[in-house]
Amino acid sequence: MTATDTRTILSAKSTVTPRAKRSRGDLGFTVWGIAVLVFLFLPIAVVVVYSFNVGRLLTSFTHFGFDSFAAIVSNEVVRNAVLVSVQTGFLAALLASVLGTLAGIAMARHPGKWVWWFLVLLLLVSVTPEIVDAVSLLPWLVTLGQDWGLSFFNNGIFRLVIGHSLFSIAVVSYLVRARLIGLDAQLEEASADLYAPPLTTFRRVTLPLAMPAVLAGFLLSFTLSLDNTVIAAFVSVAGSTPWPVYILGAVRTGLRPEIAAVSTIMLVLTLVALAVVALVLKRAGDSAADIARTMAGG
Amino acid sequence: MRKKAGIALAFPAWAWLLFFFVIPVGYVVWFSFGYKPGIFGTHANDVLSFDRYLEVLTPTFFATFQNTLWIGVVGTLACLAIGAPVAYWMAVKAPPSKRGLLVALVMVPFWTNFLVRTIGWQIILAPNGWLSGIMQAMGLGPLDILYTRPAVLLGVIYNYLPLMILPLFVAFDRVGPALREASKDLGAGRWTTFLRITLPISRPGVLAGVLLVFIPLMGDYITATILGGAKGNMIGQMVATQFQTAQNWALGSAMAIMLILIVLLTTAVGFGLVWLVGVPMRLRNRVVLDPVPASTAVAASTSPNGGAA
Repeated sequence: MTATDTRTILSAKSTVTPRAKRSRGDLGFTVWGIAVLVFLFLPIAVVVVYSFNVGRLLTSFTHFGFDSFAAIVSNEVVRNAVLVSVQTGFLAALLASVLGTLAGIAMARHPGKWVWWFLVLLLLVSVTPEIVDAVSLLPWLVTLGQDWGLSFFNNGIFRLVIGHSLFSIAVVSYLVRARLIGLDAQLEEASADLYAPPLTTFRRVTLPLAMPAVLAGFLLSFTLSLDNTVIAAFVSVAGSTPWPVYILGAVRTGLRPEIAAVSTIMLVLTLVALAVVALVLKRAGDSAADIARTMAGG
Repeated sequence: MRKKAGIALAFPAWAWLLFFFVIPVGYVVWFSFGYKPGIFGTHANDVLSFDRYLEVLTPTFFATFQNTLWIGVVGTLACLAIGAPVAYWMAVKAPPSKRGLLVALVMVPFWTNFLVRTIGWQIILAPNGWLSGIMQAMGLGPLDILYTRPAVLLGVIYNYLPLMILPLFVAFDRVGPALREASKDLGAGRWTTFLRITLPISRPGVLAGVLLVFIPLMGDYITATILGGAKGNMIGQMVATQFQTAQNWALGSAMAIMLILIVLLTTAVGFGLVWLVGVPMRLRNRVVLDPVPASTAVAASTSPNGGAA
């Protein structure tokens, strides 16, 4: 009895002094957090500012102007690179969404030992370094396209779509599986009880339930493809160079302000896609933590 | 019936990944046992051997592996040290209404093109850039770290930091205020609450963050190409060189396989160490937990984390 009382008194006393200390600790966290956020935004801000640089070299700022944006409009190579990226991104996202959605539904609704093996395959796909994917795809595509004479494997966009789809399929599968596992299968059972054929149940019940994850997966795949540099650098063929590969080439020969201008435009494009993802997930009822988990790739 | 339907639905994805992931990577494993025939050939497999792996272990190439491992381990630890307080702040200290905004702020750099962010650093670190100018004005001399190992380290810490913060945020957020308050009510200090409540529960998130940073960091190609010179050389670049310029697919394949093996081995060793460090803590918890009799607050204050560990 008395021991507990002393403890209460002691703790009551101690809450008075740590109060000031605690708020100082909180201030430390806030300062650190904001400093890190500034650190994270610093190079992006620098690239955006330098895209308004009127000078021959990107790294030395001469004065403000829109010349670099005008240069993009007149530069056919850059315009073509952006176009290739957007086309590839759309096709890769479409492919990854279809394959990933089917696989995700299968894993969530038809469990069995095979799911475990399939998850191991997806895990392998997601942990393999991009550079390994890149160096293995290059000889394989050459074999298919030249030795076996399958000429569509020489098509630049198709090669890029293959390379960009691998990781995205894994991401979409995870997302769709996670969403459907969180939802009860009763709705589908009810639909079957009401004599809907399996295909109708799939189209009218399962797919709409999975839709937020499918949409999020599509947009994430689009962004991933738009950003993919390493695999693209290896599998792309002359004539269909995506914009990150064009920029990587420019890093070697010398950076001009147009590079920053293209980057700024692509940054805006990426942000719009991500804002749509966040909106879709939020309307589907996800919290900030859920969205963070989804966006970090499952 | 249901199982068959499942396999049919997953078949397209499975076939696609088999054809464009398993087979090509299988070929690379196969190439790694071959050799480079003459100047114009890229690979030959009529004589199989482990010679390419031995070649990878010679000092010239092995130095790059050591360098990559150093950057990988130091970079991952630095991301953890820098990112953990940020994630804790976002999940616990910051007002809940601001949480979504903070997550979005971390996500924007994460989803900005990797190459663009790295080029941003190249502009900042350039010897004739503005930061160098400020440093010269302050009498610190010109900034001269571009194309060195510190520049690559800075670049990888920057590039992979969001991958650490996001899973840590999710993990800290999952703990929730209830358990922390219970711990405080039972007389535990802030450090005790963190070490014995928050940390054990969020451990999966910490492990996820470390893996999400370490694995891609080890295979990094872009940061090292843009910010590193000869000194900042990493395995990713070396593999690329073997395939693109040296045209030695056998050696490049062996390097790629070695990269994967080193990542797996380091991860296993790291987890082993963490497990070993955790042994005394788990033992202590068990000892405290065992005397079930109602010896009041002492046992009660340790039970929640004993249950979680």
